[in-house]
Amino acid sequence: MRLLHEPYRGSTEVALGVVGVVGSAVVAEVVLRSGLLDVPGLPIPSEVARSVGDLLQDSVFWEAIRFTALEWMLGLAIATVVGLALGGLMGAFGVVFRAFEWPVEAFRVLPSVAVGPIVVVVVGQGMLPLSLTVALSCLWPILLNTMYGVRGVDTTAVMTARSMGVGEVGLLLRVKLPSALPFAFTGVRVSASIGLLVAVSAELLMGNGSGIGGYILQNTANATSLDLVYAATIVAGLLGVLVNIALAKVDATALAWKKGLAQ
Amino acid sequence: MTEHVLGSEVPELQLTGVSRRYGDNLAVRSIDAAIPAHKISVIVGPSGCGKSTLLRMISGLDTPTDGEVRFEGAPVRGVPEGLAMVFQDYSRSLYPWMRVDKNVAFPIRRLPAAERAERVRFAIEEVGLKGKESLYPWQMSGGMQQRVAIARALASHPRLLLMDEPFASVDAQTRADLEDLVMRIQAELGITVLVVTHDIDESVYLADRIFVLSTPPSVVAEVIDVDLPRPRDHVSTKTEPEFVRIRGHVTSLLRRPDADAEGAHGSLVASTAAGEIA
Repeated sequence: MRLLHEPYRGSTEVALGVVGVVGSAVVAEVVLRSGLLDVPGLPIPSEVARSVGDLLQDSVFWEAIRFTALEWMLGLAIATVVGLALGGLMGAFGVVFRAFEWPVEAFRVLPSVAVGPIVVVVVGQGMLPLSLTVALSCLWPILLNTMYGVRGVDTTAVMTARSMGVGEVGLLLRVKLPSALPFAFTGVRVSASIGLLVAVSAELLMGNGSGIGGYILQNTANATSLDLVYAATIVAGLLGVLVNIALAKVDATALAWKKGLAQ
Repeated sequence: MTEHVLGSEVPELQLTGVSRRYGDNLAVRSIDAAIPAHKISVIVGPSGCGKSTLLRMISGLDTPTDGEVRFEGAPVRGVPEGLAMVFQDYSRSLYPWMRVDKNVAFPIRRLPAAERAERVRFAIEEVGLKGKESLYPWQMSGGMQQRVAIARALASHPRLLLMDEPFASVDAQTRADLEDLVMRIQAELGITVLVVTHDIDESVYLADRIFVLSTPPSVVAEVIDVDLPRPRDHVSTKTEPEFVRIRGHVTSLLRRPDADAEGAHGSLVASTAAGEIA
């Protein structure tokens, strides 16, 4: 028997994926068309697929994709910078940890979309408040992973640096943060998916019609083109998959050295 | 304490009554030692006798609870300039995100680029790793990784090279090669080398002077000057009667003090208790 971690050949793997996706679409199509399940508004795959085709020819929708992608990446970038800095300091210095432990625990459980409207009040309309809302939700996995990565740094690595006269700040920047980077990046990857989710939600809630969320909102308001809404959702999902593939690639190349980290 | 020819020079490193206590546990009792300049000295002792603790205090990474370490006449407070250290665990001591040349350049990263490049080139050649500059340490064998660690130490132009069980994690053949490498480098550059090991053979083979430590709380049980001719060789040196004699002597020292140390430990506990009552 095959174990889960035994990889299939590349072509087999792709084929199995296609069978899974197409298979479920066919099942859904049959169930909905045959009237086996008769609930209005459920997506019929073939019609959603046609709508995706329509959407991709719509320049307004492309603008929405561009907006969401930018907003999302800006938010993720802000979260990465803040997460690395604060997580690094909290991991390295007990004083900083004590000072921020409870604020982090408190803010971490706040639903960022609920905080969003307050952000709008503070910084005004546009992409920035949306990105800040995204950043607020992306921050925590990055911050916590960085903090634990820094704390888990190898003691011999630290002693070696000290024996070469490296001070506390140098130690954090040159040894602790680099060796925590693979962990921090895992946080970035987790945050990326959360970030897209929050980006679209925030647009639905306070986007003023911009981004994929805004596009969905306007078309549901028209109430006629539900297929278009489903199609937009699928495109958002595809965007997420693409970015995840890109991040996995970065992980496998720029951070390939992590196999050299002492176990 | 024996004062031989070596003792005529001002010692590079002077330990006076160095002790280290962790809570109620006395790891190092009272070490007196004079490590001669431009020679190889070896501290040998049983496992857990506080050798690494001692080395950390010498390097300024740890502070003695009592006594004093002087390097080139000045008391050690923090890691002194002119000292480099090589650790047993090369895979943890080298930085996996840096290629070989970057690892070697780490201690001298503030030097001007040209001088830095020259020192890195020299150090890498000195340990026989020319052509391996752009590998990552984890792509290399254990012996080669330890060579990188030695090159990194050399790049900082140390006057004192401390080595903590440097060859305990490599196979026997590699170990022999690395021992010869260290002796050759020491002879070429004239630096002072202090090696800590639990391997008796290694201590006699490398050393100009051996410090035999007792079981913990450790003291220097005996200082032995080794006058075996240099350059030394794994076959001829190790069959010389003098080598065999010293090795036997060190072996007997490391066996015998067990009983003594138990007694000493007992009396120490008693005196500590008395101190606390007082």
